[in-house]
Amino acid sequence: MAAPFQERAAPSRAWRLAGYGAGAALVVTGLAGLAADARHTHPFGWALWFGGLIAAHDGIVAPLVVTAGVLAGRVREPYRFWLRAALAVGGVLALVALPMVLGIGRRPDNPSLLPLDYGRDLLVVLGAVASAAAVAALRDGRRGHRGRRLPRQGAGRGGGRSPTGR
Amino acid sequence: MTRPDLRGLNDRAEAVARGVGGRFRSGLHSERVAARLGLWLGGMFTVAFVTGLVSHFMQHPPSWLLWPSRPVNLYRVTQGLHVIGGLATIPLLLAKLWTVYPRLFQWPPFRSASHAVERALVLVLVGGALFQLFTGLLNISYAYLWPFSFTVAHYWTAYLVYGALLIHVVNEWAKVRAALRTRDEVDPEAPARRRFLGTVAAASGLTVLFTVGETYAPLARLALLAPRDPRIGPQGLPVNTTAAAAGVAALIGDPGYRLTVTGAVRAELSLTYADLVRLPQHTVRLPISCVEGWSAEAEWTGVRLSALLARAGAAADAVVTVESLQRGGAYRSSEVRPPHWHDPLTLLALRVNGSPLAADHGFPVRLIAPDRPGVLQTKWVTRVVVS
Repeated sequence: MAAPFQERAAPSRAWRLAGYGAGAALVVTGLAGLAADARHTHPFGWALWFGGLIAAHDGIVAPLVVTAGVLAGRVREPYRFWLRAALAVGGVLALVALPMVLGIGRRPDNPSLLPLDYGRDLLVVLGAVASAAAVAALRDGRRGHRGRRLPRQGAGRGGGRSPTGR
Repeated sequence: MTRPDLRGLNDRAEAVARGVGGRFRSGLHSERVAARLGLWLGGMFTVAFVTGLVSHFMQHPPSWLLWPSRPVNLYRVTQGLHVIGGLATIPLLLAKLWTVYPRLFQWPPFRSASHAVERALVLVLVGGALFQLFTGLLNISYAYLWPFSFTVAHYWTAYLVYGALLIHVVNEWAKVRAALRTRDEVDPEAPARRRFLGTVAAASGLTVLFTVGETYAPLARLALLAPRDPRIGPQGLPVNTTAAAAGVAALIGDPGYRLTVTGAVRAELSLTYADLVRLPQHTVRLPISCVEGWSAEAEWTGVRLSALLARAGAAADAVVTVESLQRGGAYRSSEVRPPHWHDPLTLLALRVNGSPLAADHGFPVRLIAPDRPGVLQTKWVTRVVVS
């Protein structure tokens, strides 16, 4: 089903070339700017952050998330979905708040920078997320007992397809 | 020494890659999820790229470019979109990377030269996107944990990321179209996919909800995770550079203070603080709109810049440089071009919210103008040079 459909939907040759041309021009502009402005861009430090973030994501964050997802998979539905949702949402909010919670940027001369108690605020936010997920899970759980069909979860064991490789 | 067993190593690598790659069973690692998230990300990165260019060229305009001074809140909105939109993109990017994570283990890693180039560009896209979002997050949290200048690195990396994104879009366009055209009714994975995408949207929305109050005052009380509270600071207004940090704390109390208007003028002016107070005063309501995404509105009272320049006899098309008492620093002076200095809202302010400026807000005199990045609202003003 997919192959003829995809061919018809593919952008025309002219569009492809225009896209590649514009993209390549922007990539070259960026690299040239980074190199030409080396006094400010500090290419070694830049490359360290660029590569370091990829390594941190692919080597640490993604495996941790996958592991957490597998562990949460031991819980039965509908609680499983809400547990995973709460972990994902709470994890993202904690990540965004982390630099503020750590207070790395605080400066004694300027109390208007990072003026809040971010540790407390993050706990409040995480508490609200956990409570909302718990309420939703209990609601779905009760519905399930009354025999209503729940939406099927694609994340279940053996229920999914294998990833599409390229 | 024996030759390394390359074939054996290759076989082992293949076994590991296929072993890991085959373990991702969730139906959410699918093209349809990736297509939907890719569409959202493409939109967010386009907004960030455009608003970023606006901010860059407002701060470094080529000589032919005259930004308008209205609408008053234009920069406030574009920079709010840039920063709060950037924060909202973090969950989208993480979800996209999770969805396509199994493809990191595809075997063989490169099927052809063009496939190798394609994957190299995806690496640039992933690394660049992570770089922009996470150094951006650290930057608005004032955690400068790098040797480079954030603004310069962020600016050039934006071209790199957006270029790699365009190429990626061309490569994936057919698949995205096909994935989005397939009707949900025929797909058993649709409910799970909707719930997954709903969770991602919720993470994005909550990130906005808990930060946007740093620029959108009605939600200030919900800005629990924002690096600024628009109500907190001297005179109820946040400060970026303090008088102490700028090295002007000892200079601003000098009784010999003068504001001079000089350069291409008919008559130079040299005014004491008392002279300035005696000039006609105007009160305007304008925001400080910081490049870091926060903004705060206040009531400013002072002398119209256009009135001072008329008194000195400056030409109508003159470009004006406003200079601070600061001895150094990238923002010790700023340029004011005709659309801005002719605007009656542009003041050399002496008071904010009813009382004389606090030292950290630029006492004795600061510039305040509509539609202008906060770093260009020069504080501790002592000289106005007309050219």
